[in-house]
Amino acid sequence: MIRSYILGAALLIVLAVSANAQATTWQIGDKHTIRFDAGGEAGGIFKTLKGSIAFDGQSVQTAAFDLSIEVASVNTGNGLMNTHLKSAEWLDAGKYPVVRFTSKKVTASGSGFVVTGDLEMHGVKKEVSFPFSFQAKGNSGTFSARITVYRNDFHIGKPGGEVNDVIKIDLTVPVTKK
Amino acid sequence: MSILKKAFSLAIVSGILSGCASLIYEKIYTSSLGADFGKVVTPVGIFVASIVGCLLAAVGFWLLQRMVPKYAEIIFNLLFSILTFATIIGPFAMKMPLDMNSPELLPGMVTPMHFFPALAWFTLRPIFIGHTGPYQKIFAH
Repeated sequence: MIRSYILGAALLIVLAVSANAQATTWQIGDKHTIRFDAGGEAGGIFKTLKGSIAFDGQSVQTAAFDLSIEVASVNTGNGLMNTHLKSAEWLDAGKYPVVRFTSKKVTASGSGFVVTGDLEMHGVKKEVSFPFSFQAKGNSGTFSARITVYRNDFHIGKPGGEVNDVIKIDLTVPVTKK
Repeated sequence: MSILKKAFSLAIVSGILSGCASLIYEKIYTSSLGADFGKVVTPVGIFVASIVGCLLAAVGFWLLQRMVPKYAEIIFNLLFSILTFATIIGPFAMKMPLDMNSPELLPGMVTPMHFFPALAWFTLRPIFIGHTGPYQKIFAH
C-alpha cells in the first residue's frame, strides 16, 4: 500500500516537472527586421515574418522555432531590383513563396544559444546552425541572430557575378508572451 | 536686354512653372495610387531641381549663342531634349530608404517631372526670346 503511494507521488512529481519544462510560447511582434546583405548594392529587407516560437532560456531542450519569411515581401529600395530578385532567375517568389526554418535542436552556448535546424529556400532544404541571443524583459523579449548562408547551396542566381555567394542575414525579432 | 539676361529670366520663370506642374502632378499621383514618397521627393527639392535644371539650360543656350550663333537654337533644342530624356535613368536607378513601400512606383511619379522643365522652356521661350538663328530659313529652302 505504502509502495503504491510512493509510486503515485513520484509520478505526480514527474508530471509536474515535465509540465514546468514546457517552453514558453511567444508571439512575433510587428516591428521585426530581417536585413540581408550580399555585398555592394545587393541588400535589403524582408518585411513579413510569420511562425511560432516556443523558447525558455532555462530549458532549451524544449525550444522549437518554425519561422517563415514571405519572399514577395522583399524590399531592396529599388523597384527594378525587387522585381529582378523575385523573378525565376533569383528567388522565384511565384514557385517558392516562403523561406522556412524549422528548428531541430537548441543548445546553450556562452551567453547565448545555438540553434540547428532545416532551412528551406528556393526548393532546397539544408541543415544549418547559427547563434542567437534572447533578451527577456517581463512579458516580452527580443531574439537577435546573424545567419550566414551561401546562395549557391540553394541554387539562387548564377554563380559568380556582382552578388556575393555569402549572404549575411541579420534578424531582430521582438516577441511577447502568448 | 542681353541674351544672357533673357535666357536667365526664361530659366527662372520656366523653373517655377515646371515646379508648380510637378507639384500638382505629385499630388494627383499620390492621391490616386496611394504611394507616398514625401520623404525623398519634397516640394523644396522639386522646385530647386526644376529651377537649377532650367538655369543650366540657360547657360548652355548662352554658350551656344556665343559659339555657334547660326545653329545655336537647333543644337540647343536637340541637346535639351536628349539630355532631358537621358535623366530618366536616375529614377530607375535610385535606391530608396528600406522603410518606404512600393519603390517600383517611384519612376512613374518622377519621370514625367523630368520633362516639365524642357516643356516649360519651349512653351515660354517665344515670350522671352525671339528667333535667334537663321535655321528656319535654312530648312525653308
